[in-house]
Amino acid sequence: MVKNELKPLYRALWQTPALVGLALLLAVGINQWRPDGIPLVGDWSADARFADASGHSLVIPLEEARELFERNEVLFVDARPEYQYQEGHLPGALVIPWQEVDRYFMETAEQLEEGKTIVTYCDGESCDLSHDLALFLKDMGFADVRVLVNGWTVWKRAGLPTEGG
Amino acid sequence: MSNENEAAIRTGGYQSRIPGISRPKTAAYHAARLFMGGVFLYASYDKILKPAAFAEAVYNYQILPDAAVNLTALVLPWLELVIGACLIAGVWMPGATVISTGLMTVFIASLIYNQMRGLDIHCGCFSTETTEGPVGIWTVLRDAAFLAVSVYLMLHVFWFRRKVSISSRSERE
Repeated sequence: MVKNELKPLYRALWQTPALVGLALLLAVGINQWRPDGIPLVGDWSADARFADASGHSLVIPLEEARELFERNEVLFVDARPEYQYQEGHLPGALVIPWQEVDRYFMETAEQLEEGKTIVTYCDGESCDLSHDLALFLKDMGFADVRVLVNGWTVWKRAGLPTEGG
Repeated sequence: MSNENEAAIRTGGYQSRIPGISRPKTAAYHAARLFMGGVFLYASYDKILKPAAFAEAVYNYQILPDAAVNLTALVLPWLELVIGACLIAGVWMPGATVISTGLMTVFIASLIYNQMRGLDIHCGCFSTETTEGPVGIWTVLRDAAFLAVSVYLMLHVFWFRRKVSISSRSERE
């Protein structure tokens, strides 16, 4: 009687790890076999996440961005929605919200062609908009395009000048 | 649930204790396990097909260390598939209901945690497409409903069925 009452508990104790183990085997086994499998331990560093098609990192460190800015050799491009740009942005930045990239790109194309280093940014460590925008601009023929990861936040935090807002 | 005789013996054994309750309870139990099984199978499908996109979704939750992101993104959908299959087939129910409840708890905790720190992320719950829309209060409520069903199933397996099995041969669990 007592044994019977505890049966589901005993079963749960071995079934739970068994099911997890089965899922693990299936997941890893099939991942190795399929052509679009992913590495078991991925490289999620900013350099790897914000790379161009050939795997070169597009990331520009804050220090380098600041130096370019002080030499007036940089053109910032804000990839966030326009209302966020209006609330405050990096000095001299253009706005090309990734959601409406085609329209905004047509409006700003001339200003982009100044021969400066283009640095895209958005906000948040995991924000991909700036990366998507940088790849788009490279596709459009701009060679010198970089990404300032988590740009709005790190720029402000460093006490550097901003505009708007 | 292999044949009607066995079911009759089991329910008979239970009805002798509390008459008239076992039949609707049994129906609700089977409905609940089929429903949750379907939910997990459906949830696993798109994630298994697109491991890279799902890994991105897991990464965006910003909860796991980078090194654990890919393995979690690989194993999670298969775990959902395995327990979904268990729930639908009605086998290994103690293990399946424990994992089901555990998963739903972790999912809800992750959603609420990211809501509270204001992270605007996509759920990645049923689809790796961003068209699913960002996480909101409804995502949390939906998962809370799934958790309730899951807890009910677990209680049923650990408490209600135990009583049943005392007076009859237990089925494969």
